[in-house]
Amino acid sequence: MKQIALYGKGGIGKSTTSTNISAALSGMGLDVLQIGCDPKRDSTRMLMHGRLIPTVMDQVRERGDKEITLKDVVFTGYGGVRCVEAGGPEPGVGCAGRGIIATFQVLERLGALHADVVVYDVLGDVVCGGFAMPMREGYAKEVYLVTSGELMSLYAANNICKAIKRLSGRSRGQCRLGGVICNAKNLPDEEELVATFADRIGSTLIQFIPRDPVVQRAELNRMTVIEFAPDTPQAGAYRLLAGKILENKRLDIPEPLEIEDLEALAYDFIAD
Amino acid sequence: MTSSRTEGCTLTGALSVTTSVQDAVSIIHGPDGCAHHNFSLLHALHFDNDQLVLPSILSTSLKEQEIIFGGEKALEDTITRAFEGNHGAVFILTSCVAAAIGDDVRSVCCEVHGCPVIIVPTGGFLGGGFSDGVKSALIALSSLCHGGNQSGMVNLVGEKNLEYEAEANYREVARLLSLLGVKIQLRFVRNIPVSAIGNLGCASLNILRDESLTDVGSALENRFGTPFLPSFPVGFEGTLRFLSRVGEELDIESDSAIAAERAYQKGIIEHFSDLRRKTVMIHHWGQTSGPVLTELLETFDLELKDHGRLLSFPDPLPVGTAGLFRMLSRWQRVIHA
Repeated sequence: MKQIALYGKGGIGKSTTSTNISAALSGMGLDVLQIGCDPKRDSTRMLMHGRLIPTVMDQVRERGDKEITLKDVVFTGYGGVRCVEAGGPEPGVGCAGRGIIATFQVLERLGALHADVVVYDVLGDVVCGGFAMPMREGYAKEVYLVTSGELMSLYAANNICKAIKRLSGRSRGQCRLGGVICNAKNLPDEEELVATFADRIGSTLIQFIPRDPVVQRAELNRMTVIEFAPDTPQAGAYRLLAGKILENKRLDIPEPLEIEDLEALAYDFIAD
Repeated sequence: MTSSRTEGCTLTGALSVTTSVQDAVSIIHGPDGCAHHNFSLLHALHFDNDQLVLPSILSTSLKEQEIIFGGEKALEDTITRAFEGNHGAVFILTSCVAAAIGDDVRSVCCEVHGCPVIIVPTGGFLGGGFSDGVKSALIALSSLCHGGNQSGMVNLVGEKNLEYEAEANYREVARLLSLLGVKIQLRFVRNIPVSAIGNLGCASLNILRDESLTDVGSALENRFGTPFLPSFPVGFEGTLRFLSRVGEELDIESDSAIAAERAYQKGIIEHFSDLRRKTVMIHHWGQTSGPVLTELLETFDLELKDHGRLLSFPDPLPVGTAGLFRMLSRWQRVIHA
């Protein structure tokens, strides 16, 4: 079983990338489980054709965690991809990080965490221990950073490297950085910039995903690109990424950059 | 690890105050364990002091669901339950976990009506200890008073409700004040009803239990204009100074009271004359015992030696002349044992 986690700045396209990876992997005949680890609960929506599935935390709140069964929290979407949403509190109350921890406990108890590939789609920033949960306890051993060439996006990716480095340094820490995914914003020399960033942190650019209006069109039709436009170059890019992740053996402990170095790197590319 | 008796949990300190308001209930916004532990501790300590007290405490019983989704609903429900008990006031004390997840306790309390609902912030992880909890509770409870005209009487502020000699200390201070013809308006807070707190601002002088409550004295002075003495009296000379200062603050002639007390003290010193020139070793816990201990060593001409009879010097210090009498009686028993 391969378990991967996608992290990156909020709004950078983690859920879009995750759902297309999951759809592409299912197209290869693999059993895929995607777990959305964000209280916004919209990670798996495109796989579910626009449906916001009941979340694990909703079920816990309504029934208590002892009454929940697998069919209450695992829903089958496009291509047979099984979808789970952790859910969490309303914005501004409670503790969403604890919600993620509780979700993992429920999924463990139900024996839900089995598949050829488990894809964890995690909230933008690792703001507390709860959101580091997919990287801990031997869940996702491979983390993929999703970033564009924008400085703030690189900054967030660099910050997540700190969490990976910290957790990988522990005696029980098994998580490593699998690579960097560039979800492009059509900036000049963006692929080269993100590739250089990946190299500087001791990793590699695993795939460049170009910016293409078909992504927007697919989402307006409540589908992944793999389902909506399977013959487009964009779908090809996602399939290529899924294949590379499947075969990836390079796992690194990243070395995060100092903010000055990160700014200098971004500045070099703007100046060019 | 070193720890003093004034450290420990902020929540416990606050509860030692709030549970001494007879017709109020204290809600601990936290897991059941916080309520259970504190209930047991308060019950056991009172029982040690020969009092059967069942502290009036409710718990919001926070569990993982409330931590994830927020505990405000649990607090609302518990406040509603408290109102059903016809209490004079409801005190809300926050636990560490409620403070960590950022429950908006103030908003919840503003929405509920029926009797006064007073918030005492007591998240222990924020760095405070037992005595910070006591101070927070005293300041929070003072909001139940809206001022008043000075009565010429005094308030006792922050009596140590969990100490063994709390009542004896109260009687001693009351005795000393009676020498000046001064009466106690309010014991803030020891075994009083909610309604009595309305008189907090009417006193002409607040007498703090000890100097750790100076912030409370200042807060009350700012609020009601009531001056304060920083501590109950300690030591022979300290007790005479106490009489003098109360007299000054209340503009009462104190010479005759001081003379009477000095004569009383002289009799006591003579009563314990068999302690004179003994070789002793003093065991004491507190850091502030210096001047009073020095006074006793000089009064009885005691010689300090490592091989001397081991005498215990308590913390908190003995209050007034009567407190010294009780301690000297214990010393006498040890010397003659």
